[in-house]
Amino acid sequence: MLVLQQLVNGVSSSALLFVVSIGIVIIMGHMKVVNLAHGECIMLGAYISYYMGTVLKVPFVLTLPIAFALCGLFGVAIERIVIRKLYGKEGETLLVTYGISLFLQQAVNLLCGSDLKYVKLPMEGIVRVGGIVIPHYNIFTILVAVIVGLMTLALLYRTRFGMRMRATTGNRQITECLGINTALVDTVTFGYGVALAGLAGAVLAPIKGVSPFMGIQYLTDAFMNVVVGGLSSLFGTTLSSALIGESRNILGGYINEVNASMIVFLIVIVVIRIRPEGLFSRQRR
Amino acid sequence: MNRRSKDFKWLALVLCVVLAALALASCGGGSSDGGSAAGAEAASGEGGGGSADAAGGGEIKVGVLFSTSGALTITEEPAKNAALMAIEEINAAGGVNGKTLVPVYEDYGSDPALAVDKIKKLIMEDEVVATVGLYTSASRIACRPVLEENDGLLFYPTFYEGEDPSPNIVYTGACPNQQGDLFVPWLVENVGPKFFLLGTDTVYMQLINSQAKELLAANGGEVVAEEYVPSGHSDFATIINKINETKPDVIYLNLNGDSAVAFYKAYKQYGLDSSVMPTASFCSDENTFGALGPEISAGHMISINYFNTIDTPENQKFVEDYAAAYGSDSVLQSVAEASYKSVYLLKYALEEIGDGEVTPESIRAALADVEIDAPGGAVKVDSDNYHLYLKARIGKVNADGLLETVYESEELIKPEPV
Repeated sequence: MLVLQQLVNGVSSSALLFVVSIGIVIIMGHMKVVNLAHGECIMLGAYISYYMGTVLKVPFVLTLPIAFALCGLFGVAIERIVIRKLYGKEGETLLVTYGISLFLQQAVNLLCGSDLKYVKLPMEGIVRVGGIVIPHYNIFTILVAVIVGLMTLALLYRTRFGMRMRATTGNRQITECLGINTALVDTVTFGYGVALAGLAGAVLAPIKGVSPFMGIQYLTDAFMNVVVGGLSSLFGTTLSSALIGESRNILGGYINEVNASMIVFLIVIVVIRIRPEGLFSRQRR
Repeated sequence: MNRRSKDFKWLALVLCVVLAALALASCGGGSSDGGSAAGAEAASGEGGGGSADAAGGGEIKVGVLFSTSGALTITEEPAKNAALMAIEEINAAGGVNGKTLVPVYEDYGSDPALAVDKIKKLIMEDEVVATVGLYTSASRIACRPVLEENDGLLFYPTFYEGEDPSPNIVYTGACPNQQGDLFVPWLVENVGPKFFLLGTDTVYMQLINSQAKELLAANGGEVVAEEYVPSGHSDFATIINKINETKPDVIYLNLNGDSAVAFYKAYKQYGLDSSVMPTASFCSDENTFGALGPEISAGHMISINYFNTIDTPENQKFVEDYAAAYGSDSVLQSVAEASYKSVYLLKYALEEIGDGEVTPESIRAALADVEIDAPGGAVKVDSDNYHLYLKARIGKVNADGLLETVYESEELIKPEPV
C-alpha cells in the first residue's frame, strides 16, 4: 500500500516539477540564456495569484491565465530592456539575471512585506481509491502539467511561430537571412518562458506559502531537472521530471527524506557523468 | 548609435519609474521604515558628536542588529521594531539617568558573515554599550568570537538550543528545557502517548527531538517515527503518508518557517484532522498561523514562553502600542517580546551603574538576579548563566485562528543550558 500511495504521490510531484521546469527548457534550451531569475518569476506568479485570488476575489481558475499573461508581459519587458544585449554571452546572462532575481526579491519584500501570504486551497476534497488518498488539487496539478506540455508542443511544432523559433535556435544568421525578425522571435520566446514560470507560481501558491524568497528552492530543482532531461528537449524534461519525482517519493517512503534527496542527487550526477548532454538531447544525433 | 541611445533612454525611464515606485512604497509603509530612518539619523548624528562617549555626552548608543532584508526578515523585523519601540519609550520617559538612548540600527541581511562585520562596526566604530540582536544560531555562533575578543555585549532574544553560553551574551529567549520539559508530559497526558517526531535537519531540531525522546521515555510516551527533511523542503506527501501508516496521537513538529507552512497545508490537503492528531511545535508562531488562516491552523499547538494573545493589561498595552507604531501587518511574537525586554534589562543595568564605568562585566553584574516586568509577565535573570527564568506556556489555535493559552506554568522555570 505504501508503494502504491508513494507512486501516486510521485505522479503529482513529477507534474509539479515539470510545470516548474518548463520555462527553463524554453529559455535555456532555446535561447541559451541562463535565467537565474526563474525562481523569482515563479514568485511573481504566486504573488499575482495571491492578489488576484485573495484580495480581488477573482476565481482561482482565472488567476492561472492572468499570472501567465502578466508574467509574460514582464518577461517581454525584461528581454527588451536587458536580455537582448546579452545573447551569446552565457556568463553575462547568468550575472544579470542573478541581479534581476535579487532586485525582484527585495522589491517585492519592500512593496508587499516579508510576511508569508496565504492562498486558499481552491479545491479541498480528496478521492479515495482503495486505501489510496488523492487530493483533488493533485489531480488538477497533473491536468495543468498535461495542458502546459501539450500547449508548448503545439506552439513549437504546429505553428508558424514555433517553426521560426526552432529555426532561430538552429541557426540565427541563416534565419535572419531568410527575412525573419529574430529579435521579435527572441522577445516572444523569452516572454513565453517567463509566462510559464508565472503559471507555475500560480499553481504552487495554494499549496506553499507565498513569500519574496520562495523562488530559490525551485531554481535548483528546475535546473537539475532540465539538465538531466537534455536542455531543449520537452520529452526529456517530461521523463526526467518523472524520474526525479518518482524516485524521490519512493525512496522517501522507505528511508529518510534527507537521504532520499541525497540519493536522487547522486543519480543525477551519475546520469550527467554518463550523458553530459542529458538523457534525451537532440544534439547527439 | 541612435538605436543604442534610444534603448538607453528606455532603460533610464524604466529605472526612474521603478525607483519612484519603490520610494512611494517605502513612504506608504512609513511605519515599517521608521526604524531604519532612526538608524540613519543616529549614524549621521555620530559625525557631529563623534567624541561624545557614553558617559559624558548625554547620549548612550545602543546597537540594534537584525535582518530587514533577506529570508529572515519575517521574524526579525518585528524584533527590530520592538527594540526601537522600547528605546523610544525609555527616551520619552526621560531616558536613562537623564541621558538619551540612541539606537544604531544595522541590517545584516540574513547573512551570518555580514552579521560579523556589522557587530564589529557597532562595537569598534559606534562604540555602543551593548547590542540587542541576531536571530539564528548560525549568526550568534559567528559573532561570538568577535564579541569576546572586543569585549562587546549582546542581548540575544531567540529561543535556542542552550548549548553555547558566553560571558559576552545575555540570553533573553527560552532554553529547550523551558519549552519542552512541561510540554511533552502535558501532551502525553492530555492528547496521547504516541509521538511522530518531525523536524528540519538542523542541530537545533535534532536536539529538540532527542530531548523529546528522553521526556517521552520518562513519561510513558512512545516514539512511532522520527523523520527529518532538508532545509526548505516543501513536498510533504511522503511524510503525510508515513503519518497515516503510523497513526500517532501527536505530531511533534519542528520545521523551519517555509517548510512548516507547506506542511500545515499538506496536512489539510490530505484530509488529516487536528482534533485526532494535532501537531505540537516549538517553532511555529503567530506569523505562521496568521498566514495560514483559521481553517488550516485551528487545533494545532505550540509551546513557547510568550504569545501575543496573552490576556494581561501589560501585554494588551504592548500589543496596542506596537500596532499603533508599526501597523497590524507586522506580527508580534516571542522573539520581538524578548527583544523588547532586552532593552529594558539594559536600561535597568545602566541605571544601576549610574556614573560608573559601563562594560559588559558591569552590566552583567548589575543584572545579577534582577527581576523585571515584561509584556509576557515578570522574568528574572539567572546569574549562573545569564539566561532568563521564564514561564512555560502552551497555546492552541482556536476557531478564530488565535492562540489560546491552554496551559501556563505557575512558576518561573529556571533556564538549564547544557
